[in-house]
Amino acid sequence: MSQLELRDIRKTYAGALDETLKGINIDIASGEFLTLVGPSGCGKSTLMNSIAGLETITGGSIVVDGKDISGMEPKDRDIAMVFQSYALYPTMSVRENIAFGLKIRGMPKEEIRQEVERVADLLQISALLDKKPSRLSGGQQQRVAMGRALARRPKIYLFDEPLSNLDAKLRVEMRTEIKKLHQRLKTTIVYVTHDQIEAMTLADRIAVLKDGELQQLGTPKEVYDTPENLFVAGFMGSPSMSFIDVAIEQSETGLTVTVEGSDGRTLSLPVPDYLESWAGKRVALGIRPEHVSQPDEQKRNNLMVAEGRFTVEVTEPTGPDVLAVIRLNDTDVQCRLDAEHPVNWGEETDLMFDMRKVVFFDPESEKRIRP
Amino acid sequence: MTDVVRTGFRPSRIAIYGVLLLACLVYLIPLIIMLITSFKTPMDIRTGNLLALPTDWTAVGWTKAWSEACTGVQCEGVKGFFWNSFKMTVPAVLISTLLGAFNGYVLSKWKFRGSDLMFGMLLFGCFVPFQVVLLPMAATLGKLGLANTTAGLVLVHVIYGVAFTTLFFRNYYVAIPDALVKAARLDGAGFFTIFFRILLPLSTPIFMVSLIWQFTQIWNDFLFGVVFASGDSQPITVALNNLVNTTTGVKEYNVDMAAAMIAALPTLVVYIVAGKYFIRGLTAGSVKG
Repeated sequence: MSQLELRDIRKTYAGALDETLKGINIDIASGEFLTLVGPSGCGKSTLMNSIAGLETITGGSIVVDGKDISGMEPKDRDIAMVFQSYALYPTMSVRENIAFGLKIRGMPKEEIRQEVERVADLLQISALLDKKPSRLSGGQQQRVAMGRALARRPKIYLFDEPLSNLDAKLRVEMRTEIKKLHQRLKTTIVYVTHDQIEAMTLADRIAVLKDGELQQLGTPKEVYDTPENLFVAGFMGSPSMSFIDVAIEQSETGLTVTVEGSDGRTLSLPVPDYLESWAGKRVALGIRPEHVSQPDEQKRNNLMVAEGRFTVEVTEPTGPDVLAVIRLNDTDVQCRLDAEHPVNWGEETDLMFDMRKVVFFDPESEKRIRP
Repeated sequence: MTDVVRTGFRPSRIAIYGVLLLACLVYLIPLIIMLITSFKTPMDIRTGNLLALPTDWTAVGWTKAWSEACTGVQCEGVKGFFWNSFKMTVPAVLISTLLGAFNGYVLSKWKFRGSDLMFGMLLFGCFVPFQVVLLPMAATLGKLGLANTTAGLVLVHVIYGVAFTTLFFRNYYVAIPDALVKAARLDGAGFFTIFFRILLPLSTPIFMVSLIWQFTQIWNDFLFGVVFASGDSQPITVALNNLVNTTTGVKEYNVDMAAAMIAALPTLVVYIVAGKYFIRGLTAGSVKG
């Protein structure tokens, strides 16, 4: 269990014009589960490889428990990594795979045997110990890869998109398993993924990266409910947040915005008071699918709720609910509707807008307008 | 079921097998003629048909080629030169293959600034004609004191072979995921441990390719042998040439053929023993996953 500090990490690849990492600062507490999330090419894998020592950084420092490890060889950093491709040694049995790192570090044979068995028990792979990796299924290989990392009891675990190669069902299972494992072992984990659901479900905190810059660092709830900017808002959540271009208006009941449906009908939506200084200006209104739903009696009396009738353009039944698309101010807006009261494509339906959790962005700076 | 049985007798099938058989025969005829001629008596050869079986099977040609035939002034057969070839080929093959494996490992898994350029330039080595290097090489060997020695020949063949073996191994290792090397580095393995414990155990097919290729190339080489070796250190290819060109009286074709067979036998054996790996190794990159 160790604490990890990333201080102003910079990386420029040889011959590259742009920096791949542009000064990343993250403090990871001991026992914390941090996910690094971002689109491909955002630098998250580079950051992970830098922590592991597989890439040299061109600026900043990596500090573990107060000790700067930036210049150390990977083997001296006491960090283990689980790879997307598992990277199991194909010519070795599962047992030898797990024992390899221990053997190289000169651990006595008997201790190695015990350690391999402990890890195999933990991950329920005892029956597989004498098999070659090629004889295992994807999920089993994934377990062995984790076992190899666990066996060394390193200070920090790095997971590089470990579930991307698994099929959807197994991915969810392994996700739960990794979470359980973390709760049991209380280890410091840095987990890279491009899957924002994985990031949300696993993490204590999420670091959202884009173009080598940290966009936001916060708990899953913070990142989801109060995204710092348009990018984070659009990236986290599936289906993603819709952004409607609106003008803040001052009316006798308070601040409002007006949206226009595809059939020309308009609806006035209440907006919170902190936008007062934006009256008369245009902002981007960010609304998540779950904030637009079928009318709910209980919410009806709330001042921050509005109702209107709109034409549904597309419907996508997901099982528990139906995703519908309506058009507001010439933008597609996703709504999450009750599967029990289905609407069809092209039909009109009553929709309720819950404006309590809606966020607003400055269209110039793309930053969230804070209350 | 009936369909399967009937396909065996389709005319197209017969045609295919007919063509294949014919092709086999065309390729095998020289070998067959060599083989049967080597077992004939000189008399038989002069009077009989080229393709006819020997009237009198005799191994005299073989024994004479092995230990009595004249290769220039001395008449001790090709025996000594046969072992010369081994003494030259085995070390040259092993050294060039190991060097190639190392080069391939470094050029694919430990890339450095300019490593791709270096690989590109190494590839030029595959296209340099032998004749071009004869004079500079002779001068170098002379300076090193290796002129006319087996060690000198080994050196020449290693230098020439490294370009090919590096190409083989580099391309083979490029297909092996980098993550394996990264994982091993995090496990604490160093440069050599990773090579010997992780990559080398995966390299059997490409090792076979390299061994067969290098063995065939070096064993069959004539030019370097004739230029850089003399007398006692000459390889069998040169001895064979001398044997065939040394005429005293009647030309003994049975001895010539037997000597040629002896010269060709080791490469044949190597191919038969390791041939399946050769095909597998050459196609290893094309059928991934």
